[in-house]
Amino acid sequence: MQLASKTYDANDISAVQELYHSSGWTDGLPIVPPTADAVQACLEWAMMPPDQLIGIEPVRGLAITAEKLAINAVMAGCLPMHFPVVVTAWMAMMQDEFLMHGATASTGGCAVLVVLNGPIRLELGANGTFNALGNSDRATAVIGRAVRLCLINLMDVRPGVIDRSTLGHPGKYSYCLAEDEEDSSWLPLHEQRGVERAASAVTVMAAGAPRQIMNEWTTKPEEILETFAAEMRANLRHYSIHPGNYALIIPKQLREHLQAAGWTKTDIATFIHERARIHRREWAEVGKGAVVRDRGDSVYPAMESPDQLLVIAAGGPAGGFGAVIPPWLGNKSHAVTLPLGVCIDCEPPK
Amino acid sequence: MTFRVLDPTTEKAPPAGRLAPRLDTLEGKTIGFISNGKEGTKGFFKHLDQMLREEYGVAKVVSRTKSNYSAPADKHIVDEIKGWDAVVSGLGD
Repeated sequence: MQLASKTYDANDISAVQELYHSSGWTDGLPIVPPTADAVQACLEWAMMPPDQLIGIEPVRGLAITAEKLAINAVMAGCLPMHFPVVVTAWMAMMQDEFLMHGATASTGGCAVLVVLNGPIRLELGANGTFNALGNSDRATAVIGRAVRLCLINLMDVRPGVIDRSTLGHPGKYSYCLAEDEEDSSWLPLHEQRGVERAASAVTVMAAGAPRQIMNEWTTKPEEILETFAAEMRANLRHYSIHPGNYALIIPKQLREHLQAAGWTKTDIATFIHERARIHRREWAEVGKGAVVRDRGDSVYPAMESPDQLLVIAAGGPAGGFGAVIPPWLGNKSHAVTLPLGVCIDCEPPK
Repeated sequence: MTFRVLDPTTEKAPPAGRLAPRLDTLEGKTIGFISNGKEGTKGFFKHLDQMLREEYGVAKVVSRTKSNYSAPADKHIVDEIKGWDAVVSGLGD
C-alpha cells in the first residue's frame, strides 16, 4: 500500500512531539507518531485504499481522503478498530445540513458531539455508564480526539485561523459518548433516527458544553423533565433563542423513573417540546432588553418539533443527575446520523 | 530510535479562486455589499454606502444580506455578483 503523504524523519520520540507541536499539528497534548505501518493498519482494517475520497468539504472544496483521516486518527491514539468510526463521523460532518465550516469556524465555539450506537460500542469497549461525558473509556476518548485533530489539520480549524471561537469548551479536545443501550428499555438513538437497530451508527451534533441538572426528589416524569426543560429555558434566555437539536443525557437513576412510568423517548420529546420555550420579553430579565423590541409576546420553543430532541441513555448508575447539551446555534446545523459501512465481499486494498 | 512520520495536513492547497482584476477607480462603478446580517453590519454598511457615493463617485450600491450568517452566500446573491464591479463582504461581529 503506497501512501502519498510527505514524510519526516525524527531522531526520537521527543523530536516527533516537537515537530508536530511546532508545526501546529496538535491539540497541545502529545500525539502518537503516525508511522506508515500504523496508518496502513487503519486503512487495512477499514478496507480502504489511501486515496479513497471520503468526501469534499462543502464550503472550501477540500478533498478529504482516507489516508489523511487515518494519519490524524493514529495521532489521536486510535487503534485500527476505532478508525471506521472516525471515517463515519467525518462523512456525517460533511453532509450539507451539518454546516461543518460554519459550526467549526464560528465565534460560538461549539464542539462536535459524537454519539455511538449499536454493536460497535461493545466491540470497542465504549462505556456509556460511569463518567459518560468525561474520560469514560479509551474508545470514546480517542475517537473524539481524532475528530478534532482532523479538523485542525485538514481544515485549518486552528484557534485564530479558521477556528474563531471566543471561548470554546473542553469538549473540543474530545466529545464522544456511547449510549447505554443494554440498560435501557428505550429505542436507541440511531433507531429513533431511522437506522436499523442491528446496525452500528454514529450521530454528530454541533454542540455546546453540557449543562448538568439534578433532581433527586421526585419520581414523577413530569417533574423530572421539568428540571431538564428549565435548563433548556435558561439556555434560551442566556444563550440563544434559535430552535434546533438539543440532546438530553439521562442516566439510570432518573431513567428508571421515566421507564417505570412507561415514558418513551417520543413521550419525553413531546413533553419537552411543550415546556422548553420562552417569551422574547424574558430577555429583558437577563440584561438583553435591547433586543426584545416590539416582539415581547413572541414565543420561542427550544425545538421546532419534538423529533429535534436527541434523548440519550447514558451515565453512571447512581445520582439523580442529567445533562442538557444545547445546539451551537439552533437550526444552522442539523445533527446527522449515519450507519457504519458494512462491506460484503470486499477485497482488502492493495 | 528514528521515526519516519507522516504529514497530517492536506498539503495541497484548496482549489484556488483567482482575484478579479483590480479597479483603477471607483467612479461610476457598481459596488455590491454582501452582509452577513448581524447587528453590527447595519451601521457599517450605511456609512460605507454614503462614503462610496459621496467621496468616491460610486454610481450604484447594491446591498444584499445572506439568509444564514454562518453559511456561504445564497446562490441568488452569488449569481448577481457578475453584474457588479466590486464586492464588499462584511462581518458584523
